[in-house]
Amino acid sequence: VVVHLRATGDAPILKQTKFKIAGTEKFAKVIDFLRRQLHRETLFVYVNSTFSPSPDELVVDLYNNFGIDGKLLVNYASSMAWG
Amino acid sequence: LGTEAQQFVWQGAIPLQIHLHESEVTTLTPPPPALILAPRIGYLPLLVPQIKPYFSSSLPPGADTVWFEYKGFPLKWYIPTGVLFDLLCAEPERPWNLIIHFRGYPGNILTSCEGEDSVKWSFINALKEAAYIITGNCKNIMNMSQSDQAELWRAVLNGQIDAYLPLSSKLKLEIIGDDSSLKSGSSITKSRQGNGEIDSSATGKTACRIPVRLYIRTIDEGIEDLEDAPAVESWDEICYINRPMEIYQEEGERLTLLGAIKALLPETFAQGGSGSNEESGDSPNAGAELLPEATEIKLIRIQGIEPLMEIPFGWVVNNLRNPEHYLHICLYLK
Repeated sequence: VVVHLRATGDAPILKQTKFKIAGTEKFAKVIDFLRRQLHRETLFVYVNSTFSPSPDELVVDLYNNFGIDGKLLVNYASSMAWG
Repeated sequence: LGTEAQQFVWQGAIPLQIHLHESEVTTLTPPPPALILAPRIGYLPLLVPQIKPYFSSSLPPGADTVWFEYKGFPLKWYIPTGVLFDLLCAEPERPWNLIIHFRGYPGNILTSCEGEDSVKWSFINALKEAAYIITGNCKNIMNMSQSDQAELWRAVLNGQIDAYLPLSSKLKLEIIGDDSSLKSGSSITKSRQGNGEIDSSATGKTACRIPVRLYIRTIDEGIEDLEDAPAVESWDEICYINRPMEIYQEEGERLTLLGAIKALLPETFAQGGSGSNEESGDSPNAGAELLPEATEIKLIRIQGIEPLMEIPFGWVVNNLRNPEHYLHICLYLK
């Protein structure tokens, strides 16, 4: 599954924004990856700029349900962007 | 307001007998267990304010990090209580004996939970997911006024279906009519931007998507009685699938629960090799196409009910779904 990471608000922008991850992985892996890359504990991670899936959700399920144009769009912010 | 079945679902509750974990008992005699009636559509962390008074005098010093376990197995707090019960108690246990911990949160197994706010956040996000699946966007949820959102949550928190229904209907997430047909205007063709997967426009069919969460337990072939099934020891044993059911206009009225399950799990139910359904017990398929490894549905549970497989799927969705508009289905497969 191709994941496209996009910064929101004042969150730092990553050098590489597109990644491939196995569908069988949990969303938690994406969240952890972002936390490590950005050196931030508090991160708000959303899909399609609208909701935050549970970290236990499978990436493949999220892609099948919410993917657009062949990828899963993940936004991240340092504060709550979409309450 | 609301069908009889919906009323029953909202009133449904699981009697719990909560024991404090022995490692956290600092008093000479352990406190007696707390007896609580837990709403099916609710979540375990919401019960903590009711439970804590029973045990607060026994707790060791420190900050609370509450979690629940069943037979040594930590429970995921964002799964509705009724679903946890249906899934983990093959043979319903009344009262359901759970152990509560106030310390030592298993962060490697459970995502963190900080009380009601975490549960509310999880609920609203699930609602947004459902709205996205049904309508193709979350506009109706995002446009909810703060007070509407707060009232919706309060209605769920307090199990008040009469307060919930008017607020929920404002969201216009009802796509299946009372006769199990699709309501007009529920086409998703206009809302899926750029995704070529749904070909409804090409074939002229109208399709709609129903949010479904499936929890699958596989029972050993040799076990006949569910009460003999070993308790779940790890979340890896449960197959969780978040997959919407796609219904096309013409078949909407005829789609049964069994049909929906087979469509949701095509990889499990191969064509022509369908296992016997629980109603007819072990009657084998007469046809020669029966695969030796045919999967059999041992049990299906929704809101604590084992519905007949012939029931229209539309009815199941309208009456047995949870407040966040997801239908949670527990499946025991052999």
